[in-house]
Amino acid sequence: MILPARLVRWALPALLVLLAVLAVAALMSGDMILSPARTWAGLCGEDSLASTIIWQIRMPRLIVGMLVGAALSSAGLVMQAFFRNNLANPGLLGVSGGGAAGAVVTIAAGWASASLWFLPLGAIVGALAASAAVIVLARRGASTERLLLAGVALNALLGAVTSYVLTQYTGLYERNTQILFWLMGGVEDRTWEHVQIALPIIVAAAVLWPLGRQMDLLSLGVPEAQSLGVDTRRLRRHLLVLSTVLTALATAVAGAVGFVGLIVPHILRLLVGPEHRRLVPLTLVGGAAFVLGCDLVGRAAGGLRLGIVTSLVGGPFFLWLLRKLP
Amino acid sequence: MNALDIRAAAVTGRLLPVSLGLPRGSLIGLVGPNGAGKSTLLQVAAGILPASGQVAWQGRDLGKIPFLERARYAAWVPHGAHFEFGFSVRSVVSQGRYAHGDDEKGVDEALARLDLTGLADRSVNHLSDGERTRVLLARALVTEAPLQLWDEPLAALDPRHGLEVLRLARTLAAAGATVLFSLHDLRVAYGLDHVVVLRERALRACGTPADILTPELLLDVFAVRAHTVPGLTLDLP
Repeated sequence: MILPARLVRWALPALLVLLAVLAVAALMSGDMILSPARTWAGLCGEDSLASTIIWQIRMPRLIVGMLVGAALSSAGLVMQAFFRNNLANPGLLGVSGGGAAGAVVTIAAGWASASLWFLPLGAIVGALAASAAVIVLARRGASTERLLLAGVALNALLGAVTSYVLTQYTGLYERNTQILFWLMGGVEDRTWEHVQIALPIIVAAAVLWPLGRQMDLLSLGVPEAQSLGVDTRRLRRHLLVLSTVLTALATAVAGAVGFVGLIVPHILRLLVGPEHRRLVPLTLVGGAAFVLGCDLVGRAAGGLRLGIVTSLVGGPFFLWLLRKLP
Repeated sequence: MNALDIRAAAVTGRLLPVSLGLPRGSLIGLVGPNGAGKSTLLQVAAGILPASGQVAWQGRDLGKIPFLERARYAAWVPHGAHFEFGFSVRSVVSQGRYAHGDDEKGVDEALARLDLTGLADRSVNHLSDGERTRVLLARALVTEAPLQLWDEPLAALDPRHGLEVLRLARTLAAAGATVLFSLHDLRVAYGLDHVVVLRERALRACGTPADILTPELLLDVFAVRAHTVPGLTLDLP
């Protein structure tokens, strides 16, 4: 780890402060920049225009962004421990791909315009179906390699479905734009309905919170974890369900936002070491801060989609960090 | 009552039915040529590899014991463990206390006993094979498990640390533990309380070294000739 031992325990408070600062910045900035005083007045409902901007537009976007960041990064952390592989992330099992395919089909079929709930529902159904397929395909023994290979095969299949739907609707410009925007991922124009859809992320995070120690042991491999006292079948089932639900919910409200699940756990592991008891809370807060930060950068850059910014900001930073490794 | 009773335990393709009883408070060597099934037998005994037949710890059927309780009863040291994440030495040793509520009890003593105090904050991925083996042994030690199952603990150790680990095993056995470990050095095996000989995935013999490790058996199992001649012997000062 890069941080000296005496600084490690300050990592969580520092990230919380960072998250708070970013949250305030997110409430203040936008097409109309609000002063700190006006932001406060808007929050308290004393300034009707500011209040409308904050409570109808910026607050849902802020909350959705934080929940999506926390969900994707913790799903990545879980998958890395589960697969004992640094490179595992929500895209790997085909869960993201399933969510994307489900959403794209919903848009293409025209259901998405019928109700705000249909698109997220399509994404959740797609993600859960993909997960179920992976588990069934890999059922016998369900070794890591089998799960990974099943995920790769499923991703290819789902990618083909998405591409097929896209090429079928080349004439319908509006729908195709909607699909493309969704595939790039973003948190603009989110409403309180989206917040409601994403709220179960908090429940999943709470369930994940105490599993950190067992994730340490699971990362040693199933036989070692068992010999040290972990009921690995039960734990692996829990972790698989948790990471699927977290990814599905995030994909449902924000589209396909890439890279968060890979980069956030990685950076934090480099900073504070590999112990999951420490990493689980840090990843939840750090993921929220990362997505908020990327959304702010995207807004400042004139409306870049969140999914583009996470990759544009994350990629080079990640490469730089890898170079710093001993 | 035996510490461990294995009755007709078999693993398809890896181990033919083996029946074996291991007494408490003894130091037992597990020998056999490469591929004879030593690691498999250790994993079956540790309850981490499903086998047909029956494995019982102090008369209790292994399958009926919850994982957390198993970890307090048997400790397993894998051969050549791989760490994807660079845990510190201290943190790996503390993993042995998971089944005891992560109370860190005995961690410092175990580090000292395996000569790891100076390496405590080092990442396990930056250690030599021998040092890593000592870390895993320290972790097995802090479990305080009465059944210790070690897979080739001496393979990567230098002479000094090898002798220290043997002395540690003897101390544990004297305190009532059952220590079963695989090894290739038959001269070391000759000095243990019991030996179990595997050959071609089946039990070939078991008993005291003087009874079992005869020139005939060694020729038959290992295809080597045994001589008793004066040579170099090592001891701790």
